[in-house]
Amino acid sequence: MSRVVPINAARHGSLRVLPQADGANRRFALLGKSELALAAADFPLCLAKDAETGRFNLIALFSLIEARNLFWQGAAWHATYLPRSAATAPFLLDPAGVCGLAIDEGSAAIATAGTPLFLERDQPSDYLIDTQRLLNEVVDDVAQAQAMVDCFVTHRLVRPLTLIFREEEGREQELAGLYTIGDEALRSLGDEAVLDLHHSDWLGPAAIISASLAQIERLRQLHNATSERQLVSYALKVEE
Amino acid sequence: MANDPSGNDRAIQTVVIVGGGNAGWITAARIAARNGGDMPSAVQVILIESSTVPTIGVGEGTWPTMRNTLAKIGISETAFIRASDAAFKQGAKFVGWTDGSPQDAYYHPLNPPVGATELNLSPHWEMLKGNLGRSFADSVDFQGALCDAGLAPKAITAPEYAGVANYAYHLDAGKFTDLLRDFSVQELDVRHIVDDVVDVRMAENGDIDRLRLASGAEIQGDLFVDCSGFAALLIGGVYQIPFRKCGHILFADRALAMQVPYEDEAASITCHTVATAQDAGWIWDIGLWARRGTGYVYSSAHVSDDEAEATLRRYVGPAAEALSARRIPINSGHRESFWHRNCVAVGLSAGFLEPLEASALMLIETAVDVIADRLPRTRAAMDMIGRQFNAAFTHHWDRIIEFLKLHYVLTKRTDSAFWRDNVAAESIPDSLRERLLLWREHPPAPQDFSHAPEVFSWPSYQYILHGMGFETRYAGLARVNREAAAAQRWLKKVEAIREEALRKLPVHRELVGKIREYGLQVV
Repeated sequence: MSRVVPINAARHGSLRVLPQADGANRRFALLGKSELALAAADFPLCLAKDAETGRFNLIALFSLIEARNLFWQGAAWHATYLPRSAATAPFLLDPAGVCGLAIDEGSAAIATAGTPLFLERDQPSDYLIDTQRLLNEVVDDVAQAQAMVDCFVTHRLVRPLTLIFREEEGREQELAGLYTIGDEALRSLGDEAVLDLHHSDWLGPAAIISASLAQIERLRQLHNATSERQLVSYALKVEE
Repeated sequence: MANDPSGNDRAIQTVVIVGGGNAGWITAARIAARNGGDMPSAVQVILIESSTVPTIGVGEGTWPTMRNTLAKIGISETAFIRASDAAFKQGAKFVGWTDGSPQDAYYHPLNPPVGATELNLSPHWEMLKGNLGRSFADSVDFQGALCDAGLAPKAITAPEYAGVANYAYHLDAGKFTDLLRDFSVQELDVRHIVDDVVDVRMAENGDIDRLRLASGAEIQGDLFVDCSGFAALLIGGVYQIPFRKCGHILFADRALAMQVPYEDEAASITCHTVATAQDAGWIWDIGLWARRGTGYVYSSAHVSDDEAEATLRRYVGPAAEALSARRIPINSGHRESFWHRNCVAVGLSAGFLEPLEASALMLIETAVDVIADRLPRTRAAMDMIGRQFNAAFTHHWDRIIEFLKLHYVLTKRTDSAFWRDNVAAESIPDSLRERLLLWREHPPAPQDFSHAPEVFSWPSYQYILHGMGFETRYAGLARVNREAAAAQRWLKKVEAIREEALRKLPVHRELVGKIREYGLQVV
């Protein structure tokens, strides 16, 4: 259960955080625009609606049909790239907190073996100061990704994606609520729209997002390596 | 045919709409969106709006059909909700119609009963109702629970025009007209003329040839759509098509409307129409984004205007002191035919009924579905399409009148002359009486209705009949048919869907606020 509170020395003076130790149940992470190519080397990149606003976020997907992180094995990340929004957890920006930060007190990253948030006499540690800087960068970068996605939406490139996994004995399991860039929609963009996207440097990312769906197969393999429920095959359905 | 001297093979190129209310602009937008454009065969749409005749604008409740209509026009749901101060509507709650006791209320939800394409749950509900302990609407559907809880029919993550529960809208009719007008003119190239029609020039064959305007301009057309409201300039004024009154069936002949502000910005927005029975009619109460709309629909033979206004003010409460009420005449009935030669009437010029089931906008949409989607290609095709149109709409009006009357004939109220008179045999159409005899033994079913699509289909009749405690003898049907197990499954399913919907769906005001702030996504 997440419990986000602004950081203050009195309450969090002795708190320690083990960065990235909260990965076990993380199903996805928000991506910034600059991370796209790096993240695509590991994860399927999708669009998903924000539950609060209904607007699309760009995400890296870590899980399939089970609520666990498939890149988390033996209490550690097994990926070549870690999205920065995952690396900055359990912190969030909050002007009311010390260093402009809040912390999720329910996070599994809070551990006695971790890095302290405060030094003696309630001085924020370098860790806290670095985190603030990093988080500000992440927020900017995510905002740029969002502007890009908004533009994809305007050009009607965003399409509902359904993943259908076949288990043994022919049972099927559906994963809905994800979106991708429609290949057909991308191909049939008008000249003006293509130029518009290209000049914003968003045409390449659109192709990367679409191509990254091949990483679903990697998630399937990771799933099968660590689960009794074997996923025999899968099908991608994109509503063009 | 190629050289037909009558001009019958002439292509329909120009559609002229007379009247700039909701009817006129919905018609213009739909025809232009469907038949306009840059192609050589594209149809030009001209709308002439009087500068002197105000619009009526009482149609503030829609049907779910409006989602389709707007999508076909090309207006996004987000833009529509923002511009029209719209909120969601999931059905109607009828309060005090059956016996007038404090607990007397039932829902007519917009969702059909679960499993409606597979089986008819009505007899099963009758057999099981003792155990179910729920009304018919709550047994076969979950929408009443959403309404009670003030929850929306969808979440912010749902795409435009899609929802978990079926829904329609409550909207500000004036703002909606403005939106349609702006969109039609700016996006669909509808030619908008503000001027008054002063003369109608006929062709030799009896068609309308052109309209002369006060400015002296003459507007020629191939098809003329009369959206001139109660004035009925063309269908009545030119063609003298008789008006068939139905005030002897539906007694309400006046309405008194009052716009009521919310108490504060956080006040909940009711997600259904509330129709509360009164001594001589009923009061509507609908929730928009920025205000409520209320109004007393009454029979002037049963109550004076002053008494009616006092009743409405009592209903609204102290807030009414600062508010004024607007009178609207209701001349219940419709034309004997609607499409005559090259003229078709849409909206109030075609007919008007009390807004008990929000049929006004729906009838406009249904008419335009025919006119826009099967716009006669030539004058030769028009007569046949017109005949089909007349047959369909004569049927629709009869069915709607009967369906509205159904709400009155099932009452057990005897506390005022209005309710007693409503069950008098001479006020009940024969066809409705026959159906009620049938429906005592058999639940309303698709076979009872001949037209496809029927504007009110069999589930609506079931919601009213069971909602008003109509005495039926269906239990035997449930025992002999082989659907008992399936019926149990469906009824159980309702419980599960309701539980999930109540857990997941947002508060109505919260959702409309989010749509206004963030918008809905297209997919």
